Amino acid sequence: MKKSLYETDEAVIDGIRRDDERALAYLYKLYFPMISHFILSNSGTDDEAKDIYQEGVIVFYEKIRDNSLELSCQIKTYLYSVCRRLWLKRLAEKGRYATKLEDTDNFVPVEEDTQQHEEQEKQFGIMGEALGQLGEPCRSLLEDYYINTQPMQVITEKFGYTNTDTAKNQKYKCLQRLKKIFFAAYKPGVE
Amino acid sequence: MLEYRAYEQIERYLNGEMAIEEQQAFEALLHTDVRLSEQVREHKQLLNSLQKYGKRQSLKQQLQNIHTEMEAETIEATPSGWKVFWNRHKQTVAVAASVSMLSVFGTLWSVQQLKTPVQQQTARYVELRREVERLKKTQTAIINGINDASKPIPRAAAFSGTGFAISADGYLVTSSHVVEGADSIMIENKSGLKYKVSEVYRDEIHDLSILKISDPAFSGFGKLPYTFKTNESDLGEKVFTLGYPREDIVFGEGSLSSGSGFEGDTTAYQISIPLNPGNSGGPLLDDKGNLIGVISGKQAGQEGAAFAVKSAYLLQMIHELPASTTMAPMSLPKHNSLLGNTRPQQLKKLKDYVFVVKVYN
Repeated sequence: MKKSLYETDEAVIDGIRRDDERALAYLYKLYFPMISHFILSNSGTDDEAKDIYQEGVIVFYEKIRDNSLELSCQIKTYLYSVCRRLWLKRLAEKGRYATKLEDTDNFVPVEEDTQQHEEQEKQFGIMGEALGQLGEPCRSLLEDYYINTQPMQVITEKFGYTNTDTAKNQKYKCLQRLKKIFFAAYKPGVE
Repeated sequence: MLEYRAYEQIERYLNGEMAIEEQQAFEALLHTDVRLSEQVREHKQLLNSLQKYGKRQSLKQQLQNIHTEMEAETIEATPSGWKVFWNRHKQTVAVAASVSMLSVFGTLWSVQQLKTPVQQQTARYVELRREVERLKKTQTAIINGINDASKPIPRAAAFSGTGFAISADGYLVTSSHVVEGADSIMIENKSGLKYKVSEVYRDEIHDLSILKISDPAFSGFGKLPYTFKTNESDLGEKVFTLGYPREDIVFGEGSLSSGSGFEGDTTAYQISIPLNPGNSGGPLLDDKGNLIGVISGKQAGQEGAAFAVKSAYLLQMIHELPASTTMAPMSLPKHNSLLGNTRPQQLKKLKDYVFVVKVYN
């Protein structure tokens, strides 16, 4: 199987750097049972396990893509530590203080990484909400242009504008509104 | 319209689409125009957030896809509602369970505490055979052995009880629980006569055993001083017994307190003589020197409530003996020489016919 491709942590990290989807999928499937077990044995549900694990993988993934991860332990331990930290936070938010977290593995301190992640999550949450408030077709227009980086020509046709200028004008108005909504809610922290 | 142009300019600047001169001009403008530079900064942050947001969304979608794919692969049975419930509430459940267990057992325990005295009054019947203090005896034996090393050390008896003669030709009676599981049985009386005996008949129902002296040195007891009473004795009659609750013979006196025994057993009397382990199998006699029963046991936790099998059942057993075994009919004593004597005189005559029964196994 393709398993052999990613036998080592280095291979997995390499794969993620090369934007290899299979590396990510392999990693994801490899450690999900561990985290799932951990969450379930600490009064979590399957859905919560999935959420936490995905967040953990995202933290790891972003760090790798940023080249900002100095991995001093195995990926497994790192993922476990991140998820553990995230789950503690989640438990505290739910008002249930797990006095005794049942650890199923070793862990390393990852407070900084998770904190950074949470900051980002907050920002993305606000962005998501802002886009939601924006409504259609503004949302799709901005997404197509800025996120999917489609050329103005295509967008003009897709949204049925008479010419690119109208589309650009429309895009400008949308962006203006998004900016207002976004910055109303988002007070940037340390950038 | 001006702002719209400005936006386009900012974006072009941010995307690095400007020509060098234009860019330099724009940057120079940024240095002087605070409002513009602020706008550029905000714009940059907004687009940055937007793009990262987009990436994050697609990453999430990707992970979601992987997850679905994984679930499809493993065909994992989704946990039942029970499992989820259990995971979520197991701490609470555990605490609740321990509290209820504690209260249940606590209640049981206290009820038990209340019930114990009552139980003691009603329940237990104690057979009075004595477990001999092995250690003590062995020690004496060892000391004796120092003086005479050639002599084998006598084995200590495991149990002891009391027995008494019922015929001149070497038959004795004792409680069958005394000789239960015996390998060999020895009897010994106050005057030091020692014989080896064997059990010849056993009546488990009435807890009686007949022993016969098998020693060739035995020549006969002589005339027994007591007779057997065939009818029942009356309530309140003065009764007494001799027995071996310790190494020496012990006399006990009391009255016949009930015509029935433990839990309404009509084959036994209840007597008010304080008895101890070792008394089992001892003779129970009345004032006139008639044997009226055989001591068998007492009620646990109740002093002065002892039981003796009625002599009628002993007689019945003796009469049945020839029919069920090959033994010749026994000649029971017919003359009572205790009648009219004072108690000490009675005991003097009696004590040679009461034996300690030592059981080895």
